[in-house]
Amino acid sequence: MKGPMAGSVLALLAGFGFATAALADGEFAGVTVEAKLIGGQQYEALYARIADWEKATGAKVKIISQKNHFELDKEYKADIAAGTTNWCVGSNHSSFASQYPSLYTDLAPLLPAETVAGFVPANIKAATIEGKLVMLPRAQFDVSALYYQKSLYTDPAKAEAFKAKFGYDLAPPETWDQFRDQAMFFAAPPNFYGTQYAGKDEAINGRFYELVVANGGKMFNDDWTPAFNSDAGKQALQWFVDLYKAGAVPPGTTNYLWDDLGNGFASGTVALNLDWPGWSGFFNDPASSKLAGNVGVAPAPQGSAGVRTGWSGFHGFSVTENCATKEAAASLVDFLTNEDSQKLESAAGPLPSRTAVWDHVIAEAKSDPYKSEVLAAFQETAKTAFPVPPTPYWIESGNLIFPELQAAILGDKTVDQALEDASDAVEELMRENGVI
Amino acid sequence: MASASQHRLRKRLLRVAHLTGLFLAMCVICLPGLWVVLNSFRPTVEIMAKPPVWVPQSLSLDHYRAMFGGAGEGGIPVLTYFRNSLIVSVTSTLIALLVGMAGGYAFARYKFKGKAAMFVALMASRAVPGVALSLPLFIIFGRTGIIDTHFGLILVYVSMNVPFTIWLIDGFFRQVPKELAEAAEIDGCTRWQAFWRVEFPVARAGIASAGIFAFLTSWNEYALASQLTRSANSKTMPVGLLDFTSQFTLNWGGMCALAVLMIIPALALTFLVQKHLIAGLTFGGVKG
Amino acid sequence: MTRAKLPPWLVLLLPAIVIILAVVMVPLLLSLYSSFTPYHLTRPETLWKWIGTFNYVKAATDPNFWRAFGRTVLLLTIALNLEMLLGLGLALMVSKVTQGQRLLRTAMMFPMMFSPILVGFQFKFIFNDNVGLVNNALQSLGLTERAIPWLVDGNLALFAIIMAEVWTSTSVFAILILAGLFALPQDPLEAAKVDGCTPWQSFRYVTLPFLMPFIYIAMAIRSLDVARAYDIVQVMTNGGPARRTELLWTLIGRTGYVDARMGYANAMGYIAILLSIAFTVYFFRKLQSARRELGMAD
Repeated sequence: MKGPMAGSVLALLAGFGFATAALADGEFAGVTVEAKLIGGQQYEALYARIADWEKATGAKVKIISQKNHFELDKEYKADIAAGTTNWCVGSNHSSFASQYPSLYTDLAPLLPAETVAGFVPANIKAATIEGKLVMLPRAQFDVSALYYQKSLYTDPAKAEAFKAKFGYDLAPPETWDQFRDQAMFFAAPPNFYGTQYAGKDEAINGRFYELVVANGGKMFNDDWTPAFNSDAGKQALQWFVDLYKAGAVPPGTTNYLWDDLGNGFASGTVALNLDWPGWSGFFNDPASSKLAGNVGVAPAPQGSAGVRTGWSGFHGFSVTENCATKEAAASLVDFLTNEDSQKLESAAGPLPSRTAVWDHVIAEAKSDPYKSEVLAAFQETAKTAFPVPPTPYWIESGNLIFPELQAAILGDKTVDQALEDASDAVEELMRENGVI
Repeated sequence: MASASQHRLRKRLLRVAHLTGLFLAMCVICLPGLWVVLNSFRPTVEIMAKPPVWVPQSLSLDHYRAMFGGAGEGGIPVLTYFRNSLIVSVTSTLIALLVGMAGGYAFARYKFKGKAAMFVALMASRAVPGVALSLPLFIIFGRTGIIDTHFGLILVYVSMNVPFTIWLIDGFFRQVPKELAEAAEIDGCTRWQAFWRVEFPVARAGIASAGIFAFLTSWNEYALASQLTRSANSKTMPVGLLDFTSQFTLNWGGMCALAVLMIIPALALTFLVQKHLIAGLTFGGVKG
Repeated sequence: MTRAKLPPWLVLLLPAIVIILAVVMVPLLLSLYSSFTPYHLTRPETLWKWIGTFNYVKAATDPNFWRAFGRTVLLLTIALNLEMLLGLGLALMVSKVTQGQRLLRTAMMFPMMFSPILVGFQFKFIFNDNVGLVNNALQSLGLTERAIPWLVDGNLALFAIIMAEVWTSTSVFAILILAGLFALPQDPLEAAKVDGCTPWQSFRYVTLPFLMPFIYIAMAIRSLDVARAYDIVQVMTNGGPARRTELLWTLIGRTGYVDARMGYANAMGYIAILLSIAFTVYFFRKLQSARRELGMAD
């Protein structure tokens, strides 16, 4: 129980004394920074740079955990429960961050103001929880844009048939209503589907959430009572239900997660696919995708309120409240998210979170039309992107909502009934926890 | 004559039916597994193809090469995981066998109060689902500093395997007539020597079969290992499989390649000891 | 020497007892305690608040919990019986083969080499409705035009999970029953033949009774570690969609770790533990009586 106290005293000291994290030679000689970093092939290239930081500062980094984010999330929760939180640097994610309000320290006093100013302002805003800057974003910014098969839009026969049926020209969809029309139009089950969506866990919740927002609604009122049982919410859920009923999505879609979507689109059996930037290379690579050369990318469509969907999240690094060497830890976090680090990481495809690096990757991609198209679409979507609602109960309420969404999609319940049940369950959760 | 040839015909038919049935059963058993092995040699575009590619077009070692490659090129510390798995599985199996032999001997050779109840209690301890144990274990291990160590994992696997080991070995020791051991003692052997000379050799097959079950359990266990290991210090191969997943992607071909590396040693070991395995199970379980 | 005062059986059993107390009993007591608190992982102070049987009442009155409970019992019953029957058939066929036994037996145990977590991924891909192996095969053979939603339809999803479970675990039954067949005394079989019994009769009245203890052993072993299926189900469907395949383990795992509500999860966990102990004790009883009939008991 003395942990948090000692931590806040240290934070105070840090705030007064060491508001700098510039690298000086051998500055942290003899210090060992224990870190829990997200594991997995696409994240680990960055860690090769840690040796450079060690050389420059004299400190040592000891990676004490390397897992994927869901496993890491469990580990953090167990760590908080066990009181074993005196390691220093942890991988964090904007969608998970609000679950651990006491685990991580405010980075703002530990870093020069110009460091923070170099990041995309929206990302810094999303990384700030209850006034604390809990993490610095790395070049792993995620928002979904619309991938589509180009050849479908160049076929005159299709264009004519479409116009005759729907009364407007066939072009990559601008709105979610057009998205629905076209998905139904292209579908020819069981060999070809109009679109697909991740239908379970946090994934379907996120998609539902962004569509509610795009339709002008919100998930929670300001007092955290549920607000999604509204017209915007019903309209959003109806979208998923309509496509399922029409057979425009694979029948297994309610059991899909992101990997199923990516593999499905790459197999060439899906026309339109709202998906993450991490797949852009995969889809256009002949070794992994049948669609190589035939992939188009458009910004996310707009909902009925004229707002683009833009559920976004990003990976970042945080420093714990109980870390004994916060300055060294903050310096490492700064290093892993600085311009060089972000350039290295975004060279492989992921999107950066620093303004200067965005300019850099766009300039780099000039000679590559596909990559330019990808970046343009994602940059446009990123402009109006939004993070998940900042409540520690986001994930938990999601676990109450998604089975009800699935029930409506599969026809076990009506849209109205499902949203009412979900809303009641979330309200009870908030009440039980004393939020409302 | 007619009846004899009829008889022969029926016999032949039966034989054909038997072989066909066996062939089909073996197909069902092996195909899903061989599919994994095959996928480890195929590019993703072929695995997830539609229309399906039934005859592999291109086979390569790309997934294996990537796995052993450097960080950032898709490499994961395979050899470290392999070493961790081997250390943890072998050590925990050996300890479980020793503890199990002591326990089995006690159940087979001594009469004491509450024997039956204690036996069932030991067995029931194995019935507790890992989900219910993992958090308290995590807290205890975290406080005592044995989280993310080989020792911690070995401890857990020993406790998982001891009940079954005791059960099998107990049955074997009962095979040996008490008089035999007593006779050896009269001949001037100590009880200890009598045990090694008379009782142990009979129980060898039982120990082998208990050993293979214990080894396979530890080698393949995931739920607890994913909680109690964290870094390359102690991560085992089943936990390493998850290295091929990230937030949005899953590299199934790579996962299959690692899976093949997991299967080969287990398969080799099973092939070597399966003769003892059958003999072991025959006497161990039932006659107890 | 104080050790000498302990009876020798206790000395011999001590290592086993100590290790099981440390690794199983102590954690179980901890989680028993926490099931009477509103323990939330990310708020450690909640561990000290006693709320009596609130969590148990909540679980007992939650229809979702009882549906998961019922489905778990159903899955266990179907899977165990199916594995037993298939294992018996497989063992009978293998035992009749005279050449290549060693290879055949190793092949028979092939699925046991697969980690349950891997089996989950494997069958998730095999049963994928769009690019999965099963649907591709059915469509290529012209057996169906549809993409069958294996993992979505309630019954099919349960079937797919049972398939995965049966695939991994039939080997355990087969190998134990095979061991029984090898130990089968030949005299009664010969006698039955002389008496003019049909092969079916001698199987039914001679072989099968002898095999019963082996079958119950396999049942008991399987019921001991059947919770391993958690890994498989978690990867394949995670209880979904719309709770159609929710089992006790997935429900508890999600409540405890994702929702971080450990107190409530542990209360449900205790009910699940009682269930698995009941299964185990039931099969032990059966085993004892089968042994007695054969005169093998103590």
